[in-house]
Amino acid sequence: MKENTKNTLRKAGLKLLLLIALLAALDVLYYFTFYPKDLEEHCSLMELSQKPVPEGDDIVYLGESSNHAYSEADTDRRPISMMLDSLLPAHKVGNLGKAACHASIYYDVLRNIPRQNNIKVAVVTVNMRSFSSEWIYSKLEIALRKEQLMMKKAPALYKRMLMVFKAYPHWTEEERDELVLNQLKKQKFNIPDFPYHNASEWDHAIGKSGMLFNGTYPSSDTIILTCHHIKHFAYQLDEDNPRIKDFDNIAKLCQKRDWQLILNIVADNMDQIEALVGPELSWLMNQNAQYIIERYEAQGAIVVNNLNEVRDEDFFERDFPTEHYTQNGRLTIARNIAEAIGKLVN
Amino acid sequence: MLFNSIEFLIFFPIVTLLFYLLPHKFRWLLLLAASCFFYMWFIPKYILILLITILIDYSAGILIYKWKDQPKKKKSCLIISIISTCAVLFIFKYLNFCSANLVALAQHFGWAHPQQVLNIALPIGLSFHTFQSLSYVIEVYRGHQKAERHFGYYALYVMFYPQLVTGPIERPQNLLTQLHREKKLQYDNIANGLRLILFGLFLKMVVADNLGAYVDQIYEDPHAFSSADILLGMVFYSFQIYGDFFGYSSIALGCALAMGFTLIDNFKTPYLSDSIQEFWRRWHISLSTWFRDYLYIPLGGNRVSIPRWALNTLIVFTVCGIWHGANWTFMIWGFAYGVLLCLERPLRSIHIFDRISSKSGKNILKGLNILKTFIIVTFLWSVFRAPSFDSLHQLYSALYHNFTLPMQLQVSTIVWVALVFFVLLDILIRQSRFDQWCSQKTGLVRWGIYALMIFAIIVFSSVQQYPFIYFQF
Repeated sequence: MKENTKNTLRKAGLKLLLLIALLAALDVLYYFTFYPKDLEEHCSLMELSQKPVPEGDDIVYLGESSNHAYSEADTDRRPISMMLDSLLPAHKVGNLGKAACHASIYYDVLRNIPRQNNIKVAVVTVNMRSFSSEWIYSKLEIALRKEQLMMKKAPALYKRMLMVFKAYPHWTEEERDELVLNQLKKQKFNIPDFPYHNASEWDHAIGKSGMLFNGTYPSSDTIILTCHHIKHFAYQLDEDNPRIKDFDNIAKLCQKRDWQLILNIVADNMDQIEALVGPELSWLMNQNAQYIIERYEAQGAIVVNNLNEVRDEDFFERDFPTEHYTQNGRLTIARNIAEAIGKLVN
Repeated sequence: MLFNSIEFLIFFPIVTLLFYLLPHKFRWLLLLAASCFFYMWFIPKYILILLITILIDYSAGILIYKWKDQPKKKKSCLIISIISTCAVLFIFKYLNFCSANLVALAQHFGWAHPQQVLNIALPIGLSFHTFQSLSYVIEVYRGHQKAERHFGYYALYVMFYPQLVTGPIERPQNLLTQLHREKKLQYDNIANGLRLILFGLFLKMVVADNLGAYVDQIYEDPHAFSSADILLGMVFYSFQIYGDFFGYSSIALGCALAMGFTLIDNFKTPYLSDSIQEFWRRWHISLSTWFRDYLYIPLGGNRVSIPRWALNTLIVFTVCGIWHGANWTFMIWGFAYGVLLCLERPLRSIHIFDRISSKSGKNILKGLNILKTFIIVTFLWSVFRAPSFDSLHQLYSALYHNFTLPMQLQVSTIVWVALVFFVLLDILIRQSRFDQWCSQKTGLVRWGIYALMIFAIIVFSSVQQYPFIYFQF
């Protein structure tokens, strides 16, 4: 090696060491100055998962808005987790959820729970919409991924650097539309004697003809709602779905921590789906629920299938597919989970 | 790939390291592959468009050089090459605009004319590499440059990743010659390159992106803000676009310098210009010199009658406006600069400077001229920023009517500090460049500046995604 190159490398090596020392010092400075404010601003999940689990809480409930959304007409506005707490007087149920959460976030929240705790059971919500590309590539997802970065177990300055250099999945509105469309085409399903093989074909046919499966021509709003149902639920679950991988991680984590995992497949408005889209979609959704039951029961989890358990009148939002229930709906779900936990204890 | 992304933070050191590890004869291949990868990170299929431009001008260069003693053939080849290269630019950038205007014109006269809409996104940096490609064929035609026979080197000249998407628009005499020359690992090149990258990231992420958040608020709904807010937003946009574009150029220069390549400096403290003419000598230098050399001088430059010169100036600046985007606002923005330059020339002939004898008087006058130029440039940036005349009208209507409203824009202290730091730095480096200025400081001062910039980039950058403004061109 030439003398000049040697000198350059020696100088560069020294400067690199100096840079590492500088970064370490800046990390300390950041940790004690701006980091707490950043956590507050960009990572509400961190607060959620780092708050100590109250002594006596032996069940944690992780859910999204299905847990706490309520109708204005409800006299009982308690979330499902609190109803569950009342139904299980011998146990204490803690809530670790947030709107728009999904399995990937639940995994991080569970992973961040301090080792010193009394938890015996983790109830994790399975929202069937969360497997769809509409949700996977949603705007809310970008914010959640950003929060996930801040939850990493790594130096504070490094996590902040990852955030400002966008080391998380992010997309513009146009990119999102393209991603969703590609995914809708890619996610094939197999419904016997059915002309469509992916959500894009199905959605396109309904949208173009303006006709429902029963031959009627409803208003354009109803057609839009029908198409929303197709885009959110017409997929066939397999192990390649990113959410399935997240649930696999949750199952492994629960085994490692010796927590009994209860997967709560939350109800969707199957009455509306059957009326608008037809029996094929509800068949496909039940097939997917069955896939989850078989996959996770084999991994030691208990799966409570609430998919068909709430009737149309107990959904208070009807112009978009949501899992927002009236007090009756929430109580039905809480009862079914309580029953499963009851069996477990007995 | 964006310079301010995690992917680039991984890509850059790997490519630079491999560049020095490989023997010279394979380096062009590495840089070409890296440049393709860099470009394809955006929309992979658009590399085919780039390939078409490269093929056209590569072949044209060889033919022009071959027919250097046959003027007619040489000229025909140049014309075909220019038309074909510009046709690609026209199709992707201007076709929809022209079509929409034809429809509007037809409707005005009551004729039926169907609108032809090409539903495609503009390939990133198309205007930049089109101009770089054109400068090659023109230079070969003029006999200033030999035709490049090695396809790989020519493709690399157009695609060299640091300046591929937003310039600086290079000339073959500078870049192509350097690509052939063997580069040795030199500490100063790496250190200066990294300094420029750090400076560029600071400008983009701390200054431009943070200002962008306020500017967007103002332009989205100007009527919700007071006149003072709007004026502040307009000033902020001047610094946002400067920080954004100067930042990109600095990173580009830094990446190239780390591998031993020297690119054209694109900015020289433009907001310290005391006239519009000077502003254009200091702002986007690689573009303004391109227009000077390939349009203004061929049209006759200033060695013509005053009316002809005025016409030339108007043509050059209107084309410069259209180059930025297929929108009437860009055209008006360019045309306005042409008009201002035409007005400036007779004013300069008064020689007002010579009539003032005291140094302080001259300084005051210079200061006032700098302020005047900055105000004009800032107002014209509002035309550039507005997506349409309608939104421009909204902005000025709010500016005119909302004088009584109290200020609402809550600008964070960090943003003010970053802005003041940027302005001071810009004044300090006016005689040189950030890397050169930095290398003259003591180790302690240098590392203090690095610490400050690294901390600011990581801790005070906006967490929102703001693409580089010039990407759209």
